[in-house]
Amino acid sequence: MTDKTFKQKKIGCYLLETKRAKPFEPGTKPELKPEWDKDLCVRCALCYLYCPDAAISRQEDGYFAADQELCKGCGICHRECWFGAISMVKEG
Amino acid sequence: MDKFSLYVGQLLSFQEHFAPKGHWACQGCGVALAVRHVYKALEGKVKDFDSAQWQIPWQHTVLTAAGKSSTEPALMSIAKDAASGGTLYICFDNECVEGKIDKTGLIKKEPAIAVANDFTYVATACPSHPFDLIEKVRHGWETAGQSFIHILCPCPVGWEYQFENTVRLGRMAVESRLFPLYEIAGGFYHITVDEPNPRPVADYIKNQKRFSHWKIQQVAALQDEINSLFSQLEEKATVAK
Repeated sequence: MTDKTFKQKKIGCYLLETKRAKPFEPGTKPELKPEWDKDLCVRCALCYLYCPDAAISRQEDGYFAADQELCKGCGICHRECWFGAISMVKEG
Repeated sequence: MDKFSLYVGQLLSFQEHFAPKGHWACQGCGVALAVRHVYKALEGKVKDFDSAQWQIPWQHTVLTAAGKSSTEPALMSIAKDAASGGTLYICFDNECVEGKIDKTGLIKKEPAIAVANDFTYVATACPSHPFDLIEKVRHGWETAGQSFIHILCPCPVGWEYQFENTVRLGRMAVESRLFPLYEIAGGFYHITVDEPNPRPVADYIKNQKRFSHWKIQQVAALQDEINSLFSQLEEKATVAK
């Protein structure tokens, strides 16, 4: 097992320096982005818990918003929201 | 402080340790979600997350033809403090690399292997139950000796379902008792998430395209095996009481 360690590699597998690889822009491809309806949102933080990309963060007023550069548009927050406060909106 | 700040999710810290600049996983990746919860659980305990070693890197496991390393699920090992000793092994299992899809791959035997090897703390977890996962990782970290945690990570590419159903399918696997959440601490079994009215496993099967070639008899056989295995697990848990 020792010959398979990946200690040299940074955890999370993101590129620190771009040489020949493409620049890292995970949020450019998806068409749908989540939007929050503040009237329905009760700030239960479920969307924050279930986001695999760590794109959702808490704002100063306690509500949540997605980082447009990190969000890949998977729609887990839209599916898991109990109150239907999140809708997937086409960008642009 | 108003009434809305009482939700349990608000009690977590909102600092990110896992890939704050983003990562290359697919949309709705269950492995990335599980890794994020593991890092959140060990926040403040592991000073340098680079000390966590990937025995088998998880980015290769999504590729079905990536060579020899792809025949095993991803395994992470974190060395504990000198006081407690031992290592915390975490297995991120996305069931994508078994080659053939039958019930031998769906029913996990890794926890039993860990128990047979005298691990002090063995547990199963799923990112659809995040607080359960976080508590188990913390417990495994604090227990002295070797500990092992098996995490089922739904994979939208390998299981062939819509990206948004990742958490939903993990919950289905737990509710149908196909992947029961339990922990074994010091030889005592304890079922952490118990579903009094289990969901039929056909719900879990029919939501994934990878089972499209399955017949009704296979689903029934799987259901029978799940029932017998869970009754065995319940017996062990009642003995511990």
